[in-house]
Amino acid sequence: MSTSPEQPFRIFVPDAELELLRLKLASTCFPDELEEAGWEYGAPLANVRRLVARWRDWFDWRKAEEAINADLLQFTKDVEVERFGVLNVHYVHRRSVRENAVPLLFVHGWPGNFLEVRKVLPLLTASERDQPCFHVVALSLPGFGFSEAPGRKGFAHKQYAELANRLMVSLGYEAYVVQGGDWGHYIAGSLATYYAHTNVKAWLSNYPTALPPQVSTTPWKWLKNLLKPYTREERERLEAMREFQTKGTGYFHEQATKPQTLGYSLADSPVGLLAWIYEKLVSWTDGYPWQDDEVLEWVSIYWFSRAGPAASIRVYHQMTSGFEGPPAAGVRWMSIPLGFAAFPEEHNRVPRRWLRTLGKVVFESEHSRGGHFAAHECPNELVGDVRRMFGKGGPAFGVVPGKDGYAS
Amino acid sequence: MSEQPFTLAIPDADLEYLRKKLDVVRLPDELDGAGWQYGAPLAHIQRLLAHWKDGFDWRKAEAEINKLAMFTRDVDVEGFGTLNIHYLHQKSEVKNAIPLLFVHGWPGHFLEVRKLLPILTAKSPDHPSFHVVAVSLPGFAFSEGPKKPGFEGRQYAEVLNKVMLALGYNEYVYQGGDWGHLLGAHVAHQYGHKHVKAWHSNMPCYRAPKLLSNPFLTLEPYYSAAARQRISKSAKYRVTGSGYFLEQATKPQTIGYSLADSPVGLLAWIYEKLVAWTDEYPWTDDEVLEWISVYWFSRDGPAASVRIYHALTGGSTHDSFAGAARSTIPLGVSYFPKEIIQLPKSWTQLLGNVVFESEHDKGGHFAATEQPEALAGDLRKMYGKGGPAHGVVPGRNGYD
Repeated sequence: MSTSPEQPFRIFVPDAELELLRLKLASTCFPDELEEAGWEYGAPLANVRRLVARWRDWFDWRKAEEAINADLLQFTKDVEVERFGVLNVHYVHRRSVRENAVPLLFVHGWPGNFLEVRKVLPLLTASERDQPCFHVVALSLPGFGFSEAPGRKGFAHKQYAELANRLMVSLGYEAYVVQGGDWGHYIAGSLATYYAHTNVKAWLSNYPTALPPQVSTTPWKWLKNLLKPYTREERERLEAMREFQTKGTGYFHEQATKPQTLGYSLADSPVGLLAWIYEKLVSWTDGYPWQDDEVLEWVSIYWFSRAGPAASIRVYHQMTSGFEGPPAAGVRWMSIPLGFAAFPEEHNRVPRRWLRTLGKVVFESEHSRGGHFAAHECPNELVGDVRRMFGKGGPAFGVVPGKDGYAS
Repeated sequence: MSEQPFTLAIPDADLEYLRKKLDVVRLPDELDGAGWQYGAPLAHIQRLLAHWKDGFDWRKAEAEINKLAMFTRDVDVEGFGTLNIHYLHQKSEVKNAIPLLFVHGWPGHFLEVRKLLPILTAKSPDHPSFHVVAVSLPGFAFSEGPKKPGFEGRQYAEVLNKVMLALGYNEYVYQGGDWGHLLGAHVAHQYGHKHVKAWHSNMPCYRAPKLLSNPFLTLEPYYSAAARQRISKSAKYRVTGSGYFLEQATKPQTIGYSLADSPVGLLAWIYEKLVAWTDEYPWTDDEVLEWISVYWFSRDGPAASVRIYHALTGGSTHDSFAGAARSTIPLGVSYFPKEIIQLPKSWTQLLGNVVFESEHDKGGHFAATEQPEALAGDLRKMYGKGGPAHGVVPGRNGYD
């Protein structure tokens, strides 16, 4: 038995945990800050103070919890993963009223969470006349949200793919498509690597990043890459990527090498966790007008997560072999259709020809606004891309046999 | 304000506050068989936490620290106003003892000089003696930190030099590792010959040589296995042990919230380095907790201490030697086998005018704590009669 029957799930954080959080928030010890620091050194003190005060005195978790449970029907299911035993997986599952909607798996990343599906869910599942619609499954990755975390080392590309694929198949979706960004991009790529054609029919990433063509694996692409000049936009993006690698990847380096060390802070300090995540929520988005309660709800998912916030960052270590290899190393080129939804403020944006090392690129979009958390910032644009890629006339129309997303 | 004696007296309220926080610690779990692979192991942290709550006696540690001769004084820093700087000043009974400035790094502090003191200040016809000054860098321990951006290598060097001058040491020698080493390059550049007459580093590293200007040095790793071996040790640190560096150099405020708010977070952050960077040094729990407590109870809080990484690297846009040209004052270096950054020894001459070199078979990054006799022995050899830097400070050759 590789999966158990689906169990309905409602988030309910025990009172004792709410009380502990309140206690800790009430005794927060703040650092000082250099004058006129702005965002140069990280999350600004005034912002963090304001958020902590609100979290302590005003933010109503029970109300947020109720709204999440009302908006998103959630479930849990035991899923077996080879060598790791059984993991209890938390997920959102909503079917469209259209029977032959396209089954779609939505995969978040870090510091993302399953709530990122919230705005796109009604759009994807709606049965609009000339648009394809989708049955959507949005899981909490192991160690995130209310999914159990693996207890052993080595849970990486193959295991994420195995878990996600087993989940989809157990829900009756033998064939499906995948949408993801951040780690969701690499996990979608891993799903393609291990289950392309048999189960995974196509994937759409909103994280257009890849390694350059390597001489050892794709010599022709490597040579072309060397000889053909980049466009001005591509050169600018490479410069932006270099800038990001230099100034914006401290968190990545630490999480990929010493997640346990950092984990003590994230597990013990609400303000520490808040600042760590909030800094990315703001710097990785395109002027998105975060509401304080929005931020606090997001961070609370991490604080109240089943496995605790320290578990979530282990993915960096596992997927890079402790920073010894790039995460893309676990993704093999497959011939199933691959699409990229590109947003201007996304980091690590690479020349388009590099993206072709990840699969058969059949769809590419370029938006004029939006950043890393596309589903949250620009749900209409992202859904638009999904519809264009999989809709009638689109390059991946009908990839799932018998489920083209339209009324029959 | 001129020199004031300094007595460490952490208020009861601060001790109580720490206790309250320790009582509500929330710990993460850990992967099976994690060992040290992912950072500080859970069992160690749990044990240290328990001891911090119920066994460690801060007042006792404080009383011992207060036996050291500590002071504070205001130091003017151009463009930054006045900073109140904390330091230790232990004179030798030898009148002509050599004034020596000892500079710590991160996650170090002034107490690293502790074991060196009795050795360096000892009087004997067989070896030189030193007057020792150990300064707490701005933003560390009980020194005030700068409140504005722009406090860089130049300013740190200015503070250090001014303290020595204020103590009547117009000419002195310098010893440091970690930031103490990197700032040594700045102090040597700015005040070499005029005030600082020689310097010693236990973490000798510098920029890699360039092929056009130093072809033989640049190519050495290609034909020398020894050079390659040293570089590979540094590579390990760079790849798997320097995440903290990049975070602190780019987002010191972000990590600062955790370090300021979570005693266990601070403990793990520092303890991981205390163990990883030493050569099987048998840390006692009390030793570790005293060390962490100095950070926890520091004047400006632990978050202030990590800003030096951003300050000296321009937010990770250049290396820490920017602005510090090679000085020609005599340089001595000690190589310890478990130091985190190791480069071909021939490259040390790019750092400075190497007159003394010694290599040890035991010890790591925190040399003054791990191998005080070896380190002090090196200083004695370097500055003693017949040594390559003997008599660099006129009128103070270390002997009566």
